[in-house]
Amino acid sequence: MSTGTLYTYPENFRAYKALIAAQYSGAKVKVADNFKFGESNKSEEFLKKFPGGKVPAYETADGKCLTESNAIAYFLANEQLRGGKCPLVQAQVQQWISFADNEILPASCAWVFPLLGIMPQQKNANVKQDVEVVLQQLNKKLLDATYLAGERITLADIVVFCTLLHLYEHVLDSSVRSAYGNLNRWFVTILNQPQVKAVIKDFKLCEKALVFDPKKYAEFLAKTGGAKPQQAPKSKDEKKAKKEPAPKKAAPEPEELDAADAALAMEPKSKDPFDAMPKGTFNFDDFKRVYSNEEEAKSIPYFFEKFDAENYSIWFGEYKYNEELTKTFMSCNLIGGMFQRLDKMRKQAFASVCLFGEDNNSSISGVWVWRGHDLAFTLSPDWQIDYEVYDWKKLDAKSEETKKLVTQYFSWLGTDKAGRKFKEGKIFK
Amino acid sequence: MCDVVTVQKIANCLGIDPGKIELNDEQVVTRTGAANKTVAGFATILESLARESKSETAQNSIVSREVQAQVYQWIEFAVLYVAPGSKDKYVSKQLLADFNKMFLSKSYLVGHFITLADLAVYYAISELVKSLSPVDKENYLNLSRWFDHLQQRPEIHQGEPMLNFTTIYLHNWATGTHI
Repeated sequence: MSTGTLYTYPENFRAYKALIAAQYSGAKVKVADNFKFGESNKSEEFLKKFPGGKVPAYETADGKCLTESNAIAYFLANEQLRGGKCPLVQAQVQQWISFADNEILPASCAWVFPLLGIMPQQKNANVKQDVEVVLQQLNKKLLDATYLAGERITLADIVVFCTLLHLYEHVLDSSVRSAYGNLNRWFVTILNQPQVKAVIKDFKLCEKALVFDPKKYAEFLAKTGGAKPQQAPKSKDEKKAKKEPAPKKAAPEPEELDAADAALAMEPKSKDPFDAMPKGTFNFDDFKRVYSNEEEAKSIPYFFEKFDAENYSIWFGEYKYNEELTKTFMSCNLIGGMFQRLDKMRKQAFASVCLFGEDNNSSISGVWVWRGHDLAFTLSPDWQIDYEVYDWKKLDAKSEETKKLVTQYFSWLGTDKAGRKFKEGKIFK
Repeated sequence: MCDVVTVQKIANCLGIDPGKIELNDEQVVTRTGAANKTVAGFATILESLARESKSETAQNSIVSREVQAQVYQWIEFAVLYVAPGSKDKYVSKQLLADFNKMFLSKSYLVGHFITLADLAVYYAISELVKSLSPVDKENYLNLSRWFDHLQQRPEIHQGEPMLNFTTIYLHNWATGTHI
């Protein structure tokens, strides 16, 4: 029975392959203590054993070294995991391991890593479609097969399972997952094997898919210094210190970011897309000043008096998933977050978004005003994060109904359609 | 189904010498094992077998009290409902549909591993599955997958001819190309 040491950072899905295999075979694997990604694996001692400087890396008790997660997993596995005695099943195991590395992993990384903030978002990339193709393939395979290779759990299942972990954890929420019933069945079966549970504790299937947050990536760059190639590298110690706080995020991939990626991330600041539209006579700054300083009794008539229906439009936005709202303060944060992400829109837009109701029974809706007659969010990719979760309706600026609605929302009064009472409002200005 | 043959088959699966299996005066299956201890009734016999066996399936079946209870429930279901129901034209259809739905989201009946529950239902339903035409089988793809998975294990098929599920691939492929 093999004994040895595995070098890895925590929660590394590649290391999981080896650790799960060891659970099946009973191999005694010790995970190296005090391993610091970016430090330990760059040390001279480590590089002597593993010249690539990558993890996971494995060292047997008698000093033999192995790298590459699949090889380590193979080494630590037992006969059953390697495909049993049948050469065909053994070959199928290899087939699925290659499939995991060549098909699943690139698609998964392209989708999930930008959301985790460790890679810039690729514009116009069909990341979701790429993943769908792969998942469909797996789903079809698992319609009439319990496991991927043969009739027992093998490395094929373990490796594909580990490679899918990021997707199932971060982006495949129940609505997306539901299309892959057979794959889900298989995934849950593997997840609940005692040997797997011993390694991956408290895994939760994705409840709400992550959305892209440009801030996260900016923070990541700031931490790793990736976006500042012009600055001469500071003393080594300092650089390492910066990396430490993010061991989980610092998967090996970001290291491979080259100058082109860094340059992509530093796109020139986008121009204000509203500049392309006629300016009209309505001045947002003036109105916002009046609204902030005067009573609604004055500011609302002022709004209708100055409003330029030729060049500006009024919209009503209703949150689509009101039934999912729980605590009201969380809903307020939701609105606040959206406002923050729309920061660059502020100059040419105004909104009053209100939360109605109470904890576990509430709704979000708001009245928006902006320059132009089309949905403003499509003008800039930076603004497209939240708008899809709202239903948008353009209001007729001249109708009495609109006046009523505007008055209600600007003065934070009344109830929503279902009769829930006004609870809190937020102004986008 | 709660007959001598099935008990013997399941004992073989578990790698256990069942001792003497026979029907007593009241036509209840009984087992006279080591030390002349006699147990009667299908579910009870299975439980006694599981306790003696070191096999994966037996160990899985007694891993926790909860699992034990669920396994027991399925064995009872197999005896009382699956075995007689599979002989009835209408009930059997419903049975197949129910199991198919069940295996949509599960790989095994209890927990996430093979247990005695799978064996009991497997042997209770195997005659019915044998009688299905390829087209019928295609209506129960999830059930077919589970059945095929079990029959591939040498300790389960025990030398009997394997049912052919490979036509399913053809059907899949053919319907796929019509679109």
